Amino acid sequence: MKNLSENTFSVPFGPQHPALKEPENFMFTVDGERVVDVKIRLGYVHRGGEKAFEARTYTQGLYLVERICGICAMAHQLCYVNNVEALIDIEIPRRADYIRTIIAELERIHSHLLWVGVAGHEVGWDTLFMYAWRDREVVLDLMELTTGNRVLHASNTIGGVRRDLTSEMISRIRKGMKLLKERTNYYKAMIPKERTLMKRAVGVGVLKPQDAVALCAVGPTLRASGIKRDVRRDDPYSAYDETPFDVITYDGCDVASRVLVRVDEILESIKILNYALEHLPSGPIAVRLPRGVPAGENVSMVEAPRGEDIHYLKSNGTDKPERYKVRAPTLANWPAVGAMIKGGYIADIPIVLAAIDPCMSCTDRMTFTEVNSAKSWQWSRDELRRYSLKWRGK
Amino acid sequence: MSENKKEQEIVEALKAKLGQSLLTARIQKPRRIFATVSPSALTDSVKFLMESHGLRHLATITAVDLGKDIAVYYHLIGGEITMNLRADTPKTEPKLPTIVPMIPGAELYEREVYEMFGVIFEGHPDLTHLILPDGWPENVYPMRKEWKTDAIKNEIAKALGEKLE
Repeated sequence: MKNLSENTFSVPFGPQHPALKEPENFMFTVDGERVVDVKIRLGYVHRGGEKAFEARTYTQGLYLVERICGICAMAHQLCYVNNVEALIDIEIPRRADYIRTIIAELERIHSHLLWVGVAGHEVGWDTLFMYAWRDREVVLDLMELTTGNRVLHASNTIGGVRRDLTSEMISRIRKGMKLLKERTNYYKAMIPKERTLMKRAVGVGVLKPQDAVALCAVGPTLRASGIKRDVRRDDPYSAYDETPFDVITYDGCDVASRVLVRVDEILESIKILNYALEHLPSGPIAVRLPRGVPAGENVSMVEAPRGEDIHYLKSNGTDKPERYKVRAPTLANWPAVGAMIKGGYIADIPIVLAAIDPCMSCTDRMTFTEVNSAKSWQWSRDELRRYSLKWRGK
Repeated sequence: MSENKKEQEIVEALKAKLGQSLLTARIQKPRRIFATVSPSALTDSVKFLMESHGLRHLATITAVDLGKDIAVYYHLIGGEITMNLRADTPKTEPKLPTIVPMIPGAELYEREVYEMFGVIFEGHPDLTHLILPDGWPENVYPMRKEWKTDAIKNEIAKALGEKLE
């Protein structure tokens, strides 16, 4: 079971960092239909981010950090500017804090809706996929309206934000939220009653609360195991110290709970957005900064849609960071995936993997080893999904 | 500094527990503590912070190349407090005790630091490649400052026995 990927991958140049999602390699040891063990290999889309930060100025880093992930672009950039601003020791205008909160919550809604759709797709319920992705367009249109881009918003700058919200934008966001609230409430009422999903989700991929803590899981994955931890509440940044919201937890510890946590979180995000729009302070949206970043170190965290995102910055007083470390939420959740998958069925692998929302690319491959015959073979993610639907349909 | 009461409590408790082994400790700002301990006191400190102060969540492990030493930061979180516990190890023979038996979630983070900086975590259950491919040239630790991208490229070419574009 060693060296599984040796013959299947030639890894392109680049020693670097796994915060980037996409093709990972799993080694599952299976006994019949049961999964006995899983081993993970990362790095296939490792683009050298951390090394690259050291060779770039802080302003260039602003755009590099966004490209860690297309879906959590705002979360990473927000974590980055929080870090740099903390070292410069500057207060940014309150209006900028609120705008950052608004964009970050729009991003969470878009990411969670995307995920609800993917979860539906993984269990063969493509109607939900169509519905959720249709609704996600509402958010993407609002993103384009407010930041100019559907993805990679480039909305932050060190010292504030780059675009102001006009009253027309505000009224359009409100309208969009009204629509999404209606739709999300519909999903919330429908999903627990829908056997297509529940038959595949209840009791599947169990992560016990003590395991979730010991394996350092984060985000909705952790909260679906009943642990109340959310960076927005525990270590507030931007305007989260003022915006009222509930930290959603469910204690089913399974895939079903992970679905419900995310659906409820969409509603909380809408609540935060409405509050932020109502209480949006007036004033400037950015401050001019002194040149350079003083020497020092800082750790900043944000609650990305997938969970706690932590960045470490060490500055040596020049215009480039001495060290910039990024740990995105997906990496934190891999050890927990091991616990969820062991003892479960092969057919449940796709939905269990999807349940941490790992953003894997479709080119992902998995290697299976049958315990008794030591035979191994590879499936693409799509083949595995088809197998899963066929096997479960029996 | 009454507003940082909890932070002060933790720092004082660490001082009392570790004595000489606690090299530095400072409250950077509300909710953020930086402390340096000697490598021999690392596992004790982590255990103490977990059990006595509930800092059970390891957010990640960060390594920083300081030239002569490699600094390894353990970002431990409990409630609103983030403790950045640091231990330095010499670059010529970098090694630290593993914390996986106490915090199973540290497994991948230690492997990452091992690959990128060459720090050996003694007692780790499976200190193998996680991110870099099998067949990666030995003793090439890409995140160390002395490794420039061109030099890494040459080493890979040598290991593969071919010229890379």
